[in-house]
Amino acid sequence: MVITNDITLPTDEELTVQELNLSTSALRAGAFHLGKHCENQNNEFMLCRQELDDPRACINEGKAVTSCALDFFRKVKKTCHEEFLQYATCLDKSSGNMAFGHCRKTQGVFDKCVSDNLGIDRPEYGYFTRAKIHSTEREAPPKAIKKEYPDATPGLPDDYPKPPAKYGSRFHWLE
Amino acid sequence: MSAAASATRKQDMPPPGGYKKIPYLRVPAKSYFTGFQMLAGYAVVTAAGMYVYYLTAKQIHREEIENRSAQNVIYPLLIAERDREFLKQLRRNRDEEAKLMANVPGWEVGTWYGEPVYKTLPKDTLVTPLFKEFYAHTDYKSYAKRAHLKLWS
Repeated sequence: MVITNDITLPTDEELTVQELNLSTSALRAGAFHLGKHCENQNNEFMLCRQELDDPRACINEGKAVTSCALDFFRKVKKTCHEEFLQYATCLDKSSGNMAFGHCRKTQGVFDKCVSDNLGIDRPEYGYFTRAKIHSTEREAPPKAIKKEYPDATPGLPDDYPKPPAKYGSRFHWLE
Repeated sequence: MSAAASATRKQDMPPPGGYKKIPYLRVPAKSYFTGFQMLAGYAVVTAAGMYVYYLTAKQIHREEIENRSAQNVIYPLLIAERDREFLKQLRRNRDEEAKLMANVPGWEVGTWYGEPVYKTLPKDTLVTPLFKEFYAHTDYKSYAKRAHLKLWS
């Protein structure tokens, strides 16, 4: 293994939180409203993960993502349980890849329920594929400094004479 | 020549009303359309087909975007969970290696008798282990389950 004793790994207590115990159909059924509800947490986590590229650095952001999702699905269970189950079942059984296109009716029922009870409107279909600007408290990691080599070959001075080529270019059609 | 023989002879003559006319004229197949009409029909059918194709392609494109949109929402969730489990497993692997090599003098965990794999990286850099390294301390079944996941799904 490449994991030496010098590498700090978070302890199990730090890593153990309640996980989201849901299947794909349920996750997909709630995806759009979940994304709207947890937009900040998701963006924060993904930005952290992309910028720092280290799973140890973004543990807390990840926990925030999971707890926000748990919170959302608990709310849904409290208010729109029937509609949600109906929609998730429809997604599950209508196609092999759980496409949304087959379940517009149940989706409409679920959307209305969430909109009435939780106040979250379903965003338009491409909302989460668009680039977003996310402002964060965390400081950006320092950019890699360009190395300067003292013994690098110096270039020609700017005022060095550059006369035209004596016999022209080999590629005469470029002249 | 006898008289009886000449009486029974009868000259071969055309049938009454004459022979049928010899059909030498070309009989063309019945034509329903002229050439220009057929070209116009081709253009109409092609245009209609292309229009239906455009509508279908637009719908498929829309569904792909919607699908990707939903996946982008779920992705952070999955990555967050995966990261936690991954780090837990790294610790388990390290502890297992320390236990396994406890009796080997000079062995340091994560190195070859004190010689690290990555010499130029800072000390605390987490390098993702190779797949087989990550599953080194497990049984074959768990390894195969993950390695051949694509064959089952």
